[in-house]
Amino acid sequence: MKPDLTSSRGMWVMNALVLAAGLMFLSPVLYSIWMSFQTADAYYAGHLDFTLSNYELAVAEYNFARYLLNSLIVSGVVTLAGIAVATMAAYAFARYRFPGGNLAFAAVVATLMIPSHITLIPNYLTLAKAGLLDSYAGLILPAISSGFAAFFLRQYIRGIPRALDEAAYMDGANAFQVLWRVIVPISKPAIFSMGLHLFISEWNNYIWPLVAIGKEDLYTLQVGLARLYRINPGEDVIDWPLVMAASTITILPVLLGFVLVERHLVRGITMGAVK
Amino acid sequence: MLRKLTPYLFILPLMAFLAVFTYVPILQSVNLSFREWDFMSPTKLWVGLENYQLLLSSRDFWNAVKVTTIFAVISVPLRLALALAIASYLVRETIVSRLMRGALFLPSVTSTVSIAVVFSWVFSTDYGMINAGLAWLGFERVQWMQDPQLALYVIIFVNTWKQLGYDIIIYIAGLQAVPTELYDAASVDGGRRLHVFRRVTLPLVMPTTYFLLVVSVIDAFQVFTIVNVMTKGGPAGATDMIVNMLYRVGFTLFDIGQGSALAVILFVFLIALAVLKARVIGRKVHYEA
Repeated sequence: MKPDLTSSRGMWVMNALVLAAGLMFLSPVLYSIWMSFQTADAYYAGHLDFTLSNYELAVAEYNFARYLLNSLIVSGVVTLAGIAVATMAAYAFARYRFPGGNLAFAAVVATLMIPSHITLIPNYLTLAKAGLLDSYAGLILPAISSGFAAFFLRQYIRGIPRALDEAAYMDGANAFQVLWRVIVPISKPAIFSMGLHLFISEWNNYIWPLVAIGKEDLYTLQVGLARLYRINPGEDVIDWPLVMAASTITILPVLLGFVLVERHLVRGITMGAVK
Repeated sequence: MLRKLTPYLFILPLMAFLAVFTYVPILQSVNLSFREWDFMSPTKLWVGLENYQLLLSSRDFWNAVKVTTIFAVISVPLRLALALAIASYLVRETIVSRLMRGALFLPSVTSTVSIAVVFSWVFSTDYGMINAGLAWLGFERVQWMQDPQLALYVIIFVNTWKQLGYDIIIYIAGLQAVPTELYDAASVDGGRRLHVFRRVTLPLVMPTTYFLLVVSVIDAFQVFTIVNVMTKGGPAGATDMIVNMLYRVGFTLFDIGQGSALAVILFVFLIALAVLKARVIGRKVHYEA
């Protein structure tokens, strides 16, 4: 770089402006986190304060620790099961030619275009009939099959040289061992991206837990937060700092994860779109 | 024998889950849309096309179509134009531009319910950030979410805020695929920046634009969470988008027949859109070298 003072000063100003714009863009969320540490009295009076009482209230009075646990269990199981199911199918679609295989794959790809809301009422009826409404299973089962994850992983596995499979078969491995010992280790980045994708979409899922769960004990964070906000409609009675504490609990796990793994997330999204 | 069965065993779990929770439910929805049922009564009475006739002659349905169309017509071009402009700037690989990408992308992985709650506060009449700013500047406080003229624009704003980062990331990937020699050639010709943008960048990101067009139109017709949390479709139906109406009819009025008919109409419309766009993209895709 040439030590050109005017242009480098111009660049500093530009960078400062861009960063300021970024902060302004995120300011509602940043402010909501800050507000969650204020007492309601201080907030409404415009004073400054620091307190954890909103979090204590959210956990003790409004059961948010339980909602957090429910969200972790549901999203965790959906992610693990979803990845297992998608990886096996992706492996078969990538490596085998079999009667009906193309048709089945086309049917999987078609689900990428299907708006999920058409399944809302029938899935509700199916689970009601099975007695699985108001249960973890009722939240988990409909979310396990991800056509997107299967499609994405199939594309990835097709890029792995077949010679690696064949070497393993020579050593006496069976198809399952090839999948587990050869394909899965090489596909780790793709599997990780898809795992994140599944976890985040399930974590943020709202409409299904909203219709499938009536028991307060089984609310996920999303439903619990929406209910908390709706308990007291009419502005003067909303305890905003409390609501923001609940909102922060709802955002936080994904926010922390985001800071650590943003690159993987972006890769999953762009590979799905551009390829 | 077992050899031949192997691939079927591998795809069986996925296909079974898809069958139970996706394929069969589509058929069930079609079936239920021809019936009258309220979740409770023992019989599901066959009524033929009555649910569709009722829907097509109801004001609520056309209101939902209107609201959703306005939403799409405003939010889709807004998203694409903003995203392309910002992506053209952030495509460079500097620390600041990477930080900014992260900041813009964050909302698209953040809980929609949380975002809707936070923006309910931002736009709230008495305590919100926006009205505080307006009051500070000496303007009147505005009833953003209680005014039928404004509420839909608030929903569009929040949805755009949430989705923009996704569009930007996709555009950046598209822009990075443009060979830099093309830019060099254009600037050797003395092309000015806007000119280069119009003649080089815009045509080359066309496939990306079509992709995002499809995605954002489909998104627009599936908006639910923001509406459900912020306005419940009100005031006076001003934000009653199609999926919100579907939820209302199916799960608060328990009219399974009409709810299913609405789902089928939405389904057919979105599939038609996807097929149409697949054809258009198929024709335009020659830009991708």
